[in-house]
Formats: sequence, C-alpha cells, structure tokens
Amino acid sequence: MTLILQLAINGLVFGSLLGLVALGLALVFGVMRLVNFAHGEFITLGAYATYLLVTTTGVSPLWGIPIAALLGATIGLAVQMLVISRLAGRPELEALMATYALSIVGLGLFALAFGGDFRTYSAGPAGNVTLAGVVVGWRSITVLVACVIVGAATLALVSRARTGLGFRAVAQNREAAAACGVNVVASERLAFSVSVALAAICGALISFIGTTTPNVGHEWLLDGFVVVIVGGLGSISGALVAALAIGLLHSFASYFLDDSWAQIMTYVLLYVALLVRPHGLLGARSAT
Amino acid sequence: MRFAAITVAAAALAAVMPFAGVSVYAGTLVYYAAYYLVLGQAWNMMSGLTGYVSFTHGALAGIGAYTAVLAINGGWPITLALVAAVAVTAFASLVIGVTSLRLRGTAFTFATLFFQELLLLGVRKLPAAGGAAGTTLQEILPTSLPHVLMVLTAAGATIAFALLRRSRTGVRLLAIKGDEDAAAAVGIDATRLKIGVFCASAALCGLAGGIHALFIASLHPESVFSVDTSIVALAVPLIGGVETALGPVAGAILYVGLREILQIVAPSLHLVIVGLLILLVTLFLRDGIIGAARRLLQRRRTYRAALETAR
Amino acid sequence: MSCLEAAGVRKRFGGLHAVDGVDFTVEPGELVGLFGPNGAGKTTLFNLIAGAYYPDAGTIRFGGDDVTRFPAFRRARLGIARTFQVVRPFRALSIMENLLAVVASEGALSRTPEQDALQLLAGVGLADRANDPAGSLTLGMLKRFEVARALMVQPRLILLDEPLAGLTDGESAMMLRLIESVKVRAAVVMVEHNVRLALPLCDRAVVMEQGRVIAQGTPAQIRSDPAVIHAYLGDTPEGG
Repeated sequence: MTLILQLAINGLVFGSLLGLVALGLALVFGVMRLVNFAHGEFITLGAYATYLLVTTTGVSPLWGIPIAALLGATIGLAVQMLVISRLAGRPELEALMATYALSIVGLGLFALAFGGDFRTYSAGPAGNVTLAGVVVGWRSITVLVACVIVGAATLALVSRARTGLGFRAVAQNREAAAACGVNVVASERLAFSVSVALAAICGALISFIGTTTPNVGHEWLLDGFVVVIVGGLGSISGALVAALAIGLLHSFASYFLDDSWAQIMTYVLLYVALLVRPHGLLGARSAT
Repeated sequence: MRFAAITVAAAALAAVMPFAGVSVYAGTLVYYAAYYLVLGQAWNMMSGLTGYVSFTHGALAGIGAYTAVLAINGGWPITLALVAAVAVTAFASLVIGVTSLRLRGTAFTFATLFFQELLLLGVRKLPAAGGAAGTTLQEILPTSLPHVLMVLTAAGATIAFALLRRSRTGVRLLAIKGDEDAAAAVGIDATRLKIGVFCASAALCGLAGGIHALFIASLHPESVFSVDTSIVALAVPLIGGVETALGPVAGAILYVGLREILQIVAPSLHLVIVGLLILLVTLFLRDGIIGAARRLLQRRRTYRAALETAR
Repeated sequence: MSCLEAAGVRKRFGGLHAVDGVDFTVEPGELVGLFGPNGAGKTTLFNLIAGAYYPDAGTIRFGGDDVTRFPAFRRARLGIARTFQVVRPFRALSIMENLLAVVASEGALSRTPEQDALQLLAGVGLADRANDPAGSLTLGMLKRFEVARALMVQPRLILLDEPLAGLTDGESAMMLRLIESVKVRAAVVMVEHNVRLALPLCDRAVVMEQGRVIAQGTPAQIRSDPAVIHAYLGDTPEGG
C-alpha cells in the first residue's frame, strides 16, 4: 500500500510536469494552428539556464523559475518575430519543416555547448517529509506546487476576457480577427512567447528533480505530444487527465519493469489514440 | 529519355570507381552521396509529392539494415537477404500508414516521429537483434559490392522518381498535396494512394539500408536508429528542391561536400549548420537549389530574348 | 430508374436542422435547379449528395446503388462529379495536369486521356492555356475550368455549386451556354443564387427553405408559386 502511494505521488509529480509541457504546446497550436517541434529545445534551454545559474552563482534553484521564464519569453519573442511570423498562411509542410529545423539547430547548439554529459546539482530544498508512511522529497513537493501555480496562472491569463478573446478570434480566422480590430500580431507574439516561457519553466523544474542532457527536452516533448493527442487538444480537462494518467503509467511501469518499457507503453498509446480517433487529431483542419 | 541516359552514364561512372584505382576516400564520398540520394528520393516520393512529412526515413533504412544482417548471419544468400530487407521494411511501414494515413495532416508526422523512437527502444530490448550491444555481419565482403549496388540503386531511384512524377499517379499525389477534398471530388482515393506510395518509399529505404549494412558491417541501435539519418533524408531533397528528380541529386552532392568541409573546419557545428540550411531553404528558397537555378536560367533567357528583339 | 434518389435525408449541425427530411430526385438527362434563400439548406443537401459529409438519417441512391455511406471519391468513381462554390484548382499543377489527375468513373476509362482533356478544355475555351499553372487563371476561367475537370470524370450526374457566383455579365453568359452543353452529357444539379439567370435553364426547379423543400416544378410553376414568393420576399426580414 505504501509502495503504491509512493508510486502514485511520483506519477503525480511527473504528470503535473507533463501537463505543463502539454499546456505550452496546446497554447501555440490553439492560437496559430502550429505544431511546434522546437518546444522540446526550449525545455532544454530552461534546464541548462537553471543549471548554470545554480552552479555559477550558488543561488537557490527556485530562482531558476523566474529567470528561465524571462529568458524563454525573450527568446520566444525573438524566434516568433524572426521565423514563426513568416509561416502564417504557408502550407503545413513548410511550417512543420521550419519548427523541426529550429529543433535541430537547438539540439546542435546544446550538444556543442554542453556535450553529452549528465548534469545535476545538489543545491536547493533537500530532505524528505513522511506523510502516512509515504516518503516524499521536498524537491518533488516544490515541483508539484510550482506546476500548479504556473499552470493556474497561465490558464488565468488565457481566460482573461481580452487576451482570451483575442486568442480565440485569431484561432478562428486571422483575417476576420484583424478586421474586427484584434491585434493579430500581438496575440500571436504573446501566445508564442508565453508558450516558450512555459517550456523554459518546465526545463527549470526538470533540472531540479532530474538530470539535464541536450536531449532532455526532446524526450519530454514526445510525452507531451502523447498527452495532447490522447487528451484531445480541444479540452483542457482532457489533457489534464491524460497527463496524470500517463504520469502514473510511467511511474508504475518504470518501477515494475523499467524506464524503456514505460516509454514504449506511452508511445504505443499514441498509435492507439490515432486508431480510435475517427476525425483526426488536434481537431485537424478538415476542409468541410 | 535523355534524363535516363545521363543518369545511367553517371551511375556507370560512379559504379566503376572502386575498380579504376580511385582513392578509397573519394570512393567513400561517392558511396555516401549515393546512399543519401536513395533516402532523399524515397522521402521525395512520399513527402515531396504528397506533402505528408516523414521524420522516420532513416529508421526505415535501419530496419532494412538489421533485416539484412540477421538474414545473412542466418545463412541466407545476399540477394535473398536484400529482398527480405525490402519486404520487412515495407511491411513495417504499414504500421505507420494504416494508423495515421487515414487521417489528414500532422497525424502522419507524429506517427513517424514516434516510430523512430519506438524502433530504437524496441531493438534494444530484442535479444535476437543483439539488444543494446548491436550485431555484426559475420561474413566479410569487399566494399566494392555495396558501392556498386548503392550507386545502381541511386540511379534506379532517381529514374523511378522522374517516371512517377510524370505519371498520372504522380499528378494525383501532387493533387492530394494541393487540396485533398478536391482530389476526392475527382475520384482520387487519397488514403490508398498515400499508403501505397509510403510503402514503396519505405521499400526503397529498406533496400538502401540493407546495402548499407553490407558496407558498415556492424550495427549499433543508437547509430542505426539515430535521428541524424532521418534528418539527412529530408535535408537532401529540401535543400536541392522537392518535387523534382534532380533536386535530391544536387542536395546529396552538396550535403556530402558540406559535411566533409565541416569535418575539417568545425566538426561539432554539423547539426547546427544542417538545421540552419533547412530553415533558410524553407523560409526563403521554397523550391530549393534546382528551383532557384531554373528561375535564374529562365531570367537570363528572357533577358537575352529581350536583347534580341531590341536589336 | 431515377438517376439520383434522396429519401428522407436529414443533417443537423449542432442544434440547427440544416436539412430536415428532404426527398429529392433527378431523372437521367435532367437539369434540376436548387434554389432558396441563404441558409435554406441547399448547399448542405448538395454536399450530402457529393459525399462531403454523410446524412444523419435517410438514404441516397445513385443509379440504383445505395451510396449513403460512400466517401466522396467512391461517388466520383460511380459518376457523380462536382464543382466548388469557391473554386478549388490544384494550383501548383498545370491545367492539363489538373485534368489528368482525375480518375474517370468506372467503365469510362479512356486510352487517350490527353486528347480527352484537350477536347474538354477546347469546349470551355481554355485549350491554349493547357500548360499554364492553374493558379494563373482568372476567376471566370477557373469556373469554366472546374466544369471541364468535372466532365473529365465522365459523370452521369454533375453538381454545379453556384456556377455564376462572382462572374461578370459576359462571363455569366458564357457559363450559361456551357451549362446547356453540359446537360447533353449528364444530368445536372445546380445550386444558384441568381434565380433570374439560372431558372430559365432548368427542366425542373426545387425550392428549399429552412431545411425543407417548399416547392418544386417547372420554371413557370415556380415563378407563380405563392410559397416561393413568400420565402424570397417574405414578411420577416431575418427569415431564412
């Protein structure tokens, strides 16, 4: 029983991080109909930023959260203005290739700067609490709380009347939204920038409880895609349930089998979701 | 016809290299250009013509490589082993095709992305394939055999693409890329056509992978199923120019040349440069180098004609 | 046997009954006009026949076959061709390639598709543009080109979705002549807003309002039908 509770809590932490990854993906897809394959590299960015911050200045890794968010928002804005803004109205193949190319560049840069080493740090909250016989690390609790706060803050921003309405209008029809006085350019910049900031925050939190490698973001992104596709991009509650379910699956499968079986099972879920989803995923743009 | 003749002549020239006293280094460069050309043409067939982006063409070649090595180690003759490589890869591609090509848009791209990851995880778990340690070809073959085979396959793939592009099937694939609803309205069975061309494209990758296994002789899951090969498979046609038979040829030559230069100048910048190239071509040079060259020629011709009339 | 027989067809979008129990037949060689105010459900009915989506209830039979659940491409192969309200050429392909992409309906396979295509293009006045990219044509040309592409299917029924929309007077006159010539090859169902120009062409006209058929008959009968006059002129400005 204690073991199951223990694993469930691990799954909860993993799942809440996944939920945050999925939220960032959903935000950009929802507003711009863009699948951002470079999202993973922005996660890696946040992780390395926090790692460098902690190891060079010795401050608490909690500082990594706002710093990563700021860095992510800035870089996200730059990438949106330089690359993403040029993709509006282009065929899907080109939009996909552009974000994929960004991802390759990012992967190359991180490999160049940090090599393949596993990076960790020991600063920050340490130790455990024991609740009803279940040992929970302070780090895990910190991550869980941070995910809830950041997720809630993002949802609050998106559902704020003005911002949310702008987002929904742009998602429906760019031209019509512009004609109705919605600042399309600003909406898209904000959405992308917030999404990248979210990714970077995820990275900061991941560096806190795990190891940082050039690939770390890519691996989280894959799980994020599974969440988004299984949960359905249309509904936030669906994605939340999927994130927690996959978090639990991961936690239990890693313990009873091993890490790669957990991954295999998660990825197979994606194919199952594709098979049972009759009208395409992500509310695919059917022409009718 | 002239195109086919030039391709065959170029292939014959490239194929005799190992026997004509050309240095091993130059021969290897030609070999890799041919390998990447096959993968590039295969990607061009599927993604270039239909617009459905595949991130997994390198992994498909990996299936071919593993099949060939396991078959040869199991005592099969090389020809049969290559046939098996083609068949197994084509069959594996159906896993992606059937789950995702009924759907529109990005579903296929996701299916290919995860296929790549699943293969790596799966092969590492497979004791028959040597698990995480990989496996080695037990027979020792001269490298001239894969060299000749790969060059011939590259020429065949290029001619096959040119024929496909000109056929009504090729036109129908481009129609799907253009407007899938309108394609259905004129009787095109998009799902079947997409699955069919993906299967053919995968078969070509399987053959290339099988031949490549004869060349490298030892397989490690991490490198055989590395994303890098899949990136090359799409970079080659994108940089050279999609939708044309000549695009991947230009792309493969350029890519191999660039890789060699980078190896000397800045070996660790390889991925970054390739990524930037794909990005720049996608944003500013949509029809690739071949497209740009054609437009330049066209402009010069118009200019000359204008000069003539002015005189 | 009728060419097309739709019986009790219903389609709902959300809470809206776009098509609410419609019976609709087309005889071989007949030109049927489908009219009605905006939102009457004629485009939905049109798309149900073409197979763009499936009805919630009712059956659609074509030449005796039940095609209710057939996808669009299968209906095209049985001989139902269509044009689009907003033209949808394959823009990157040449005009000729656009026609060669067509899969002819079953039993109409041609040995000389290029010649057929050229003949059809000549019929719509576009023979000299055969090798130009489809994206380079004007709207009037594209509308005629779409008719040629639909005819390439060798259809027994051709569906024209607002063939006159957006055309100049001269282009409209050309299109009307083209529609008359199409009638010789196949039965025609035409959705059209311009009743004045389109009605005289019809053998029979069907008028819809709020998802139902409110009148049908010859052009003369339709012109004098009080229900039709009410639907078009009406006394409720937001009606339809």
